[in-house]
Amino acid sequence: MAGKSGRTISAVPVRSWKKLILSWEGALVVIFIAVLIAGRIMSPSFNLNSVMFMMPQYLSQLFIVFPMAFVLIMGEIDISVGSIACLSATTACLAANAGLPLPLMILVCLGTGLACGALNGFVLTVWPELPPMIVTLGTQIIFRGISEVVIGAGSSLKYDSDNLSPFAATAGPVPVVFFAVVVVAVLFMILLSKTTFGRRLYAIGSNRTAAKYAGIGVNRVRFIVYALAGLMAALCALFLLTQIPAVKSDEFGKGFEMNVIAMCVFGGIATTGGKGNLFGAFIAGMTIVCMRIALGLINVNDNVITIVIGVLLIVSVLISGISRFKGKGKAKKKPKSVTAD
Amino acid sequence: MKAFLRKLSGNHEISLAIILVVLFIVVDILSGFTFHGIGNIGEIFKNNSLTLIMSLGMLCVLLTGGIDISITGVLAFAGMTVGMLQKYNVIKNVPLLFLIAIAIGALCGLLNGVVIAKGKVSPIICTLGAMYIWRGLATVVYNGEWASGENVAGMSAFGNTAGPYIILAAAFVVYFVVMKWTPFGRKVYAIGSNREAAQISGINVDRVEILVYVLMGVLAGLAGALSVSLYGSAQPTMQDGKEMDVIAACVIGGVSMSGGRGTVVGTLLGGIFYAVVYKALPLVGLESIWQNLIKGVIILAVVVINVVSQRISRRQTLARREI
Repeated sequence: MAGKSGRTISAVPVRSWKKLILSWEGALVVIFIAVLIAGRIMSPSFNLNSVMFMMPQYLSQLFIVFPMAFVLIMGEIDISVGSIACLSATTACLAANAGLPLPLMILVCLGTGLACGALNGFVLTVWPELPPMIVTLGTQIIFRGISEVVIGAGSSLKYDSDNLSPFAATAGPVPVVFFAVVVVAVLFMILLSKTTFGRRLYAIGSNRTAAKYAGIGVNRVRFIVYALAGLMAALCALFLLTQIPAVKSDEFGKGFEMNVIAMCVFGGIATTGGKGNLFGAFIAGMTIVCMRIALGLINVNDNVITIVIGVLLIVSVLISGISRFKGKGKAKKKPKSVTAD
Repeated sequence: MKAFLRKLSGNHEISLAIILVVLFIVVDILSGFTFHGIGNIGEIFKNNSLTLIMSLGMLCVLLTGGIDISITGVLAFAGMTVGMLQKYNVIKNVPLLFLIAIAIGALCGLLNGVVIAKGKVSPIICTLGAMYIWRGLATVVYNGEWASGENVAGMSAFGNTAGPYIILAAAFVVYFVVMKWTPFGRKVYAIGSNREAAQISGINVDRVEILVYVLMGVLAGLAGALSVSLYGSAQPTMQDGKEMDVIAACVIGGVSMSGGRGTVVGTLLGGIFYAVVYKALPLVGLESIWQNLIKGVIILAVVVINVVSQRISRRQTLARREI
């Protein structure tokens, strides 16, 4: 049939090992391994045990990377996640200090996050022409403001219960939070690449109007994604409470949104939407976490590490931009096509 | 009358100015006519001078459809550098220190501009990376010793004169003239409204874009020196997170995030609006702890009202056309 018309479908990706290694994700794996080797050379105490021991304090941010990747793939942005984490941690503290049992406390915490995310989603879907950056900037200030009113400016709310110990437990050297991150990562990867929901995200990100006319409930999808971001921010807060058992309204989760966006972009997700996958984001997140641990072990100031991350971010985006330009030229010359028949 | 009202609701600056005047009068009455004093108004401008100055640069950046979240990082880096130069008695000359801060800001802005315009990197990502870099460098400069009031005595003395007011006023006058009556200002608007059209009509889009980010850096550097003068200290954490305040001031003032729409007057009103509300809070019985919460609500309310009024006016235009 296709032979008659002579039409070919050139958009079907062909998987080959060469392409896999040359892709951004392949490069990230190489960078990740390089960071591990460099860490090992620089500091003899950089080994599995020490990495796993230090991991929990950085790892909880990774929970937010996945929903943030969803938001970015839609071509939008959510800068309220750090504040949602702060507010969820506040309600979790209040619940635990009021003597609520653990499951109920978790429910309160995650419920708060979900409600905050749903509020973002609600505002953005009722008035879809609003820029997400400004709406989430407003809610960012509001959520942190609520927690400031509850806790009081400058003072901190202590988590007066040791029922969080199952979250801080380890299986061998591996902390529970690592397993949790991997499970969440796998779930989100399946959601993104194996379900219609995931395909809809890409569709919305590449062309919103076309997605709408193709019958996708754009606003419903957006609402779900923002609510998910809130939920995951609350989950992050829950694990972070095991590391910092006190909430300060101007410190808890501060700057998380930017760290998480940096991880996503470093992982090859374009902020313009429609591009990127979670494997890249996950590896990028792990690379940054391991780099922080390695540099922390050789007593490099945490702020110097942020310089490294900043340079890495700009350079990686520049390189992927340049390679994209080159790739365009190549694709015209040598289209890898599959004949449909 | 109807046409007049329509014109009022259609113009963001005028409606904002009216709300501001009404708010001002209400606050003045509630406070027993103590609010309108020159000292009080001067205080409002002084407390918000950093946000106001940087909002001018942000206006241009937003007009081209970009965004710059590295400004407070630049501010901290420039401020920290001039603070340290004074602490170690390298340079004590205040105008020279301001120039150094501005030069640092311009270089930081140049980097942003080149990466964004030539490297085609999305502005939020480039400036996010830059934010990390400059804030980190500020800490490196700081190296565990901050500059206290005695160290920066020369600059704090300047901060107590009329200097900051003059700088603020000069910046607004210059920007008002430049954005309204010079080719550069019109080019910025042209790029924001339609980039392709601007390119085809012979505007060097890349150069204008780089210049916009350089100007943003210049103002951030200036704000860094000003911050040291006003607060009498230099710390690497200064004004952390305040870039969002600057963006919020622009948005409240009617600057569009997608570019092409916004004015200097609107930006000024947006910057003052929140300051007046904050001053008004204790008068209506709310403690200052509610300040942040209310700020967020204002931002949301303003953008939502904006969208709703746009929808109404669009519907009215449609209805008129059907007759």
